Amino acid sequence: MALPVETDIDSDSLRRAAIDRSVKGPVLFLFTNGAFWLMASTIVGLLASVKHVFPYFLDEPWLWFLQYGRLQPAHITALVYGWGIQAGLGVALWIMARRTGQELKRGHTALIAAGVFWNIAVTLGILGILFGGSTSIEWLEMPAYVWPVLLICFLVFAWPMVGMFARARHPEGFMISAWYMLGACFWFPWVFITANVCLHCLPSLGALGAGISAWYVHAVMLLFFAPVGIGSAYYFIPKVTGQPIASYQLAKLGFWLLAALGGWSGMQRYMGGPLPAWMPAVGAATGVLMLIPVGVVAWNYHLTTLGKHSLVQTSPSLRFTFIGALVYPISALMFALLSNYWTGAHLQFTHAWYGFQIVTIYGFFSMCIFGAIYYIVPRLAGCEWLSVRLIRNHFWFSVYGIGTIVVASLVCGMQQGSDINDPEKWNLSFSNVVENMRGYIVARAIAWALITWSNVWFLIHLMLMVAGLGRRSTAPTLLPDYDHEVPMQINTPAIQSNPPARA
Amino acid sequence: MSDFRKFVFLIGVLFGLPWLLLIVVPVLKYQHLSPIAYDKEKDGMEGFYPTAVIHRQGQLVYAREGCVQCHTQMIRAAHLGLDAWRKGWGQEQAERAPEPIRSNTLRDYLSEPVAFLGIQRTGPDLANAGWRFPDRMKLHQSLYAPRSVNEWSTMPSYKHLYVVRKAQGPKSKKALDLSGKFQPAKGYEVVPTAEAEALVDYILSLKKDYPVPGMAPAVADAKKK
Repeated sequence: MALPVETDIDSDSLRRAAIDRSVKGPVLFLFTNGAFWLMASTIVGLLASVKHVFPYFLDEPWLWFLQYGRLQPAHITALVYGWGIQAGLGVALWIMARRTGQELKRGHTALIAAGVFWNIAVTLGILGILFGGSTSIEWLEMPAYVWPVLLICFLVFAWPMVGMFARARHPEGFMISAWYMLGACFWFPWVFITANVCLHCLPSLGALGAGISAWYVHAVMLLFFAPVGIGSAYYFIPKVTGQPIASYQLAKLGFWLLAALGGWSGMQRYMGGPLPAWMPAVGAATGVLMLIPVGVVAWNYHLTTLGKHSLVQTSPSLRFTFIGALVYPISALMFALLSNYWTGAHLQFTHAWYGFQIVTIYGFFSMCIFGAIYYIVPRLAGCEWLSVRLIRNHFWFSVYGIGTIVVASLVCGMQQGSDINDPEKWNLSFSNVVENMRGYIVARAIAWALITWSNVWFLIHLMLMVAGLGRRSTAPTLLPDYDHEVPMQINTPAIQSNPPARA
Repeated sequence: MSDFRKFVFLIGVLFGLPWLLLIVVPVLKYQHLSPIAYDKEKDGMEGFYPTAVIHRQGQLVYAREGCVQCHTQMIRAAHLGLDAWRKGWGQEQAERAPEPIRSNTLRDYLSEPVAFLGIQRTGPDLANAGWRFPDRMKLHQSLYAPRSVNEWSTMPSYKHLYVVRKAQGPKSKKALDLSGKFQPAKGYEVVPTAEAEALVDYILSLKKDYPVPGMAPAVADAKKK
């Protein structure tokens, strides 16, 4: 595995530029559309939270489709399929091309077409949910005709990525981020086909179907969102800090443990219910065991960042990625709390579940993806981010918003759990549950409002960049470092200079 | 290339194992799950378990309105929560149930394409909701104007499933019995559409606490009284 010593920096940069050019169209297409869906999702999330407390807000007869039961699935669907998977694919494609050193040779038209059809399918799916086609199967609420389109579009993107990995003749050092991306390319279609065939094509699965739908939700989180987020952080933390990944052994261990555990989880969502008892039990055990791979990966990130924490201040990419990597163990902790029978039975069917979804998709995955987007887009668009203020605005509103949602949901879950399970309250109606939840949901609505604000500006900023209206400069847009008044140029390592080949 | 193949093979095995054991085999076995006959001697009743059949047309309305977002349909075992003792969650409505409400089994959902076990408990559980409503009108009223039943309710009004029409001739038998601010304008009446009727049929068909053959005949006895 000895690397050829790179003497010619120029030719290396040229090679990178050629790779970037080859994936530019599809990647920017996915990012822009993803950012649009993200904004749509947060607006719908805001509206859904408001309707959850004040059901008679916007309750005109002709607005019959705006009810919590329809808005909430539309919000999650837009977040998962519109933003999450779409932007994740964009980052995965770029990292795969860069990491394997392969240009995207052909199929640009097919990729763009797949992107267009993906967005059409998601649009139809969400309109279907709002106007009476919802299946009410969690994360698969879109009408049944949508999933084959989504599957084909995903495969059109996954295929060239697998090809790049297989073609990489001189694996350049350690390819952990490419491993994760490749894993996501295999796992997602597998999980997606299984769940859809079971739930839409087989005649009747009853309670087992509910178990499979819970398995699907967890599998998508653990085997698509987690690998893409982790892989992205494994690429960008070394890239920006200029330090190689601290331990390859830990990195490998983390990957294979995730691969081994990811498929077992999910059915603990219905612990104490109708499923054969071993199914939730296995899921619960997995949920707790997941702390190991997550801890391993988080420790490795920490060791890789050690000594370079000042860069978190200045580099937008590292700042977002750092928060994402920091939230990852928090999401695993919430997962363990929800999964084991001791606290899980208490938090079952409460807002803690929503908090867990949001902390995983937004706090961890999306933050890593934002970090990646802040790094990738200037290289593809050929211009630098316009405004430090907009980036800071995006960062702080997102962080505070997510923090609020997660804390409010978790505490609300505990409150709700005690209201539902307290033996003293056996003969009370649900009024106490409803009353006690109110404040937390108001907090959630405020948080979504903050996040909407940040996302509107993120979308505008991104669209300006894609239109080529960014700053014309060779120096990247860095955030000012208030603690150390150092001239900016000194604080720009690793981005212009030769990055470590093993990043 | 061999590295690549080894990698893909390992991923396939590691994920294939849970896929096979947790999904494929249970799905295949589920296809052979069928109703069981009650033993008249032991269970004290005849017929098949599960007894009640759900109203599928109404379940579709339930699905598209997204009721699962706030209502579960699953009674947990007594050691995991209070479900089994909560007032009105089983057959007994007025006072404390003589026995804990039994937790649900796989067969309770036998005829349903996908059981709506639920996402959250913002509202009460509906597994045995069929026992809860004294008559159809009461249920229609809670769907049309939830706050006329509980003023603290955060349930939305499903008034798009109802028609407000001019009252002609004698008052329709189907017209909802509303009072106060929930009343329609004078000379008008509120009647359910076919969809609302289907939804009500579905909710009233939810009685997932019939005795399990061979288990706890005492419960069956207690319930018959």
